Amino acid sequence: MATLNLNAINKSFGSAKVLHDISLAIEDKEFVVFVGPSGCGKSTLLRIIAGLEESTSGSIQIGDEDVSNAAPVDRGISMVFQSYALYPHLSVYENIAFPLRVQKMPKEELEERVQRAAGILQLTEKLDLKPGQLSGGQRQRVAIGRSIVRNPKVFLFDEPLSNLDAALRGDMRVELSQLHSQLDATMVYVTHDQVEAMTMADRIVVLNGGKVEQFGSPMELYHHPATKFVAGFIGQPNMNFVPATVLETTGALTVELDGGHKMSLPVDTAGVRKGDTVEVGIRPEHVTLGDDGLDITVNVLERLGGISITYGTIGNGTRFCASLSGDAPIQQGKNMRLTVAPEDCHVFQSNGNVLRRKSAPALVA
Amino acid sequence: MMDRYTKLQLVGIYAALAVFLTFILLPFFEMFMASLRPLEHLFRSPYQFWSDDFSLQAYKDMWVTVPLLGRYIFNSIFIATSVTVITMVFVVPAAYAYARLEFPFKNISLGIFLGVNMFTGAVLLIPLYRVLRTMGLLNTYWAMIVPGVAFLIPTGIWLLRSYLEKIPRELEEAAFVDGASRMYTLRRVVLPLAVPGLIVVSVAVFIGAYAQQFLFAITFNQTRELQPLPAGLFEFIGYQSVTWNEMMAAALVGVLPVMLIFLFLQKYLVAGLTAGAVKE
Repeated sequence: MATLNLNAINKSFGSAKVLHDISLAIEDKEFVVFVGPSGCGKSTLLRIIAGLEESTSGSIQIGDEDVSNAAPVDRGISMVFQSYALYPHLSVYENIAFPLRVQKMPKEELEERVQRAAGILQLTEKLDLKPGQLSGGQRQRVAIGRSIVRNPKVFLFDEPLSNLDAALRGDMRVELSQLHSQLDATMVYVTHDQVEAMTMADRIVVLNGGKVEQFGSPMELYHHPATKFVAGFIGQPNMNFVPATVLETTGALTVELDGGHKMSLPVDTAGVRKGDTVEVGIRPEHVTLGDDGLDITVNVLERLGGISITYGTIGNGTRFCASLSGDAPIQQGKNMRLTVAPEDCHVFQSNGNVLRRKSAPALVA
Repeated sequence: MMDRYTKLQLVGIYAALAVFLTFILLPFFEMFMASLRPLEHLFRSPYQFWSDDFSLQAYKDMWVTVPLLGRYIFNSIFIATSVTVITMVFVVPAAYAYARLEFPFKNISLGIFLGVNMFTGAVLLIPLYRVLRTMGLLNTYWAMIVPGVAFLIPTGIWLLRSYLEKIPRELEEAAFVDGASRMYTLRRVVLPLAVPGLIVVSVAVFIGAYAQQFLFAITFNQTRELQPLPAGLFEFIGYQSVTWNEMMAAALVGVLPVMLIFLFLQKYLVAGLTAGAVKE
């Protein structure tokens, strides 16, 4: 197994620049997820790592070796594609054996390796079937089987769960996490789904517009988003952004939120001046019903049982979502008042950068 | 349901089908009727649709009138088959290259191929004659095979290319990541998946080869033993009379093997034209 280092990777398609100076150091046995909206360059980056796409500049190292110009098979990677890319005319056995057949591996060893992969993925019963006879989840497992027989150093996954239905996706997520601990391999996983990123990753790379917004552990991204983009992308439901005016910058940052509520927030105030416009980020799960706080008109109320999600507006029409207890005494169309603790708030400057929080929770390893 | 029609619509559909089929099939039917009648009854006036003088005599006599008839039928099929095989040998790699690789002048050369298709062989007969004479190929099977192949390659490339483009690129990328070479991928992944497409293209090429051999045969070949059926049928035209009934019988018998193959391949043709073959 091996580390994976990307050094200043750039990629342009014609005049369109899709990746800007991407440098990442991925540890041995780490599960790293590239996440971002469609078109952010995450799949292109993965394909560059795989060797299916050439970077315009920059280099890639796997272990101690520079593989920038190596063929995919010589890089020690294997890839699972979004559409599984199973060979429909070959049996499950032959699909899994394909990479070994290419290597012209002796029969006994090939048989043993295929059986072992099938065992890990619970496909032993299905080896004689064609991919067309399998369910979505089973096909996914065959695709993974094909990638593990070669014992690659790095596994690459390109949105492998996006073709599955929601329930199956949850199951496969757990299976993939188990597989990761079982194989003890370095894995790079691309998805646009922040839930997949949060649940599976050791560390997450948030990409936006071809640039790395932030690279860190899931909880680090949740508690210490570096930019407004990361803050809005990580967490479900999305973080609320309330426009605010800076009143005072000595000690804590005192702001007046849209709607007139004033708060004193424990953040680093360097670079902020009185009268500046900032945005205060408040996660829906960090508000509670209270006497002092933000006045909100509830437009839509979704009771999910355990929690209630409300969508409403505050002040001059700023949209605000709140996640409250399952049977919170609220009604659609009525007003409510929400309290939020100052230390739970994030503050973003107009350029999207965050003001460092002074009293954020310690990170869990 | 999509395929529910009212009675009136059904009547319309079947009426249209009937007109169409009559138009297409009537000549064949008349050929068949003519082949069943004695020669002297063919020109009878008024025309009789049904008569009681039907016999299969012409199907026996034709082998005597034209002793080489069997040979001509064989030649026809042999030439068309050879043209098909040789054409496919060229078309498969070419179509794959056009479907998957990027190279200079790709679209222009494809356009030229299409342009070549616009010319019928007839326009090029004289230059072709000179070429074949220079190469010493006149009066051999090659005289009918080589021009046939040349004219059918463009059609084949166009047909097969569009089929190959439908095979998901990810399948090939997956093979590439696993270390398979282009040729290995072509052999083990692409061609097995393209079988319906290969059959469709082969059949189209075969039909083309069968149809165009007449022109090349009468221009480039004087050797009787090498003539294909369409040229051989001329021998039913005698100095005194034309034995139409035997000619029709011979034409039907000559087409029969091809028709049988088609009946057998029909399901592949339909499958090939409809299925994208690969489940995403």
